[in-house]
Amino acid sequence: MTMNDDMLMAYLDGELDGEAHAAVETALAADPALRDRLEAQRRLRDRLAAHYGPVADEPVPERLRAMLESSDDKIVDFAEARARRTRPVWQSFAAIAATLVLGLVIGRGLPGDSGPIAVEDGMMVARGSLAEALDTQLASAQAPDAATRIGISFARADGSLCRTFDGADLSGLACREPQGWRVMTAAGGTDQQTGGYRQAGGAAIVMQAAQDMMAGEPFDADAERRARDAGWQAAR
Amino acid sequence: MQAFERELLTLLPRLRRFARSLARDAADADDLAQLSLERALKAQAQWAPGTRLDAWMMRIMRNCWIDEIRSRTRRAQTFAPAEEGETVGSDAHRDIERAAEMKDVDRAMNALPDEQREAIALVLVEGLAYREAAELLDIPIGTLTSRLTRGRQALAQMLEAA
Repeated sequence: MTMNDDMLMAYLDGELDGEAHAAVETALAADPALRDRLEAQRRLRDRLAAHYGPVADEPVPERLRAMLESSDDKIVDFAEARARRTRPVWQSFAAIAATLVLGLVIGRGLPGDSGPIAVEDGMMVARGSLAEALDTQLASAQAPDAATRIGISFARADGSLCRTFDGADLSGLACREPQGWRVMTAAGGTDQQTGGYRQAGGAAIVMQAAQDMMAGEPFDADAERRARDAGWQAAR
Repeated sequence: MQAFERELLTLLPRLRRFARSLARDAADADDLAQLSLERALKAQAQWAPGTRLDAWMMRIMRNCWIDEIRSRTRRAQTFAPAEEGETVGSDAHRDIERAAEMKDVDRAMNALPDEQREAIALVLVEGLAYREAAELLDIPIGTLTSRLTRGRQALAQMLEAA
């Protein structure tokens, strides 16, 4: 059997088995020139591996990493989402009902006043580390391991400012009012898999609520920073 | 971050390596990676969970590269010849500088026809089986093996001579 290069290389790549594999080995044993050709191809393969292999060990550039870390739910196309806003009424009711139930569960479940949400004058208000994250954290510059991640920030029609947030236990939407960050919508957090609620799209419900409330576009990094530096005062 | 993004994040080092073997140099490779991620995030709904995300991603990247190469070739044709170095634009200067930084392997890979280069990248750099690579490129296995062989012969020749 004559040995062509296609077969020799398939042998090198581990693509041959049975008879074909045995045939190449027999030919190699009998033909030093063939062994040289195989060796040259092995050297080439090693050289390519040595050249490209280390690329996979380099740190991934921040701009690529950031595309994935910040995309999350914001990948929602806002223009498209707005166009879809006329959704069936029952869906809104279902979302509101689910949110209310969760609100009750969270409200009741919080031991004393150590939780992220307190009820003041019948309103859910963010406190502790959640309030701090809402006050200070910029979506454009948050630590990858931040306990609470800020999603989008935006203004409502009345000019007041709102932000979405996502943590291990709790995600939601809060708007800045004189007494603090009023939690408008709350859902299970990233790690919360109970009750089938998160699977049903807690983050999507928060995003939908945000889009329904939003006047204009979500803030870009500059607008977000300006709003924070101005203490989240309502825009006029 | 959701499962899709998380999985992409763990694939990123490999995707950069694949980009590097396709694109002309490191800067182009990361541009290619970025373009591919943008497309993937937009096309997320088209990925069937449970199927291989790496193969899906490599196909996207390969298509991005083909599109990119075509537009780049068109741009390159508007450049003045290198001999007229004094009058050419800064883009051409940068190209010349980049070429000077290239390693022998880059240069040899750049000299290959696109169809041989992508076959080499998938099988020799990424370690795909022939069947997987042929599927990804939508070509018969016989076509893949002959491209691989021709590409390898050319590479061996260029690199042994270097």
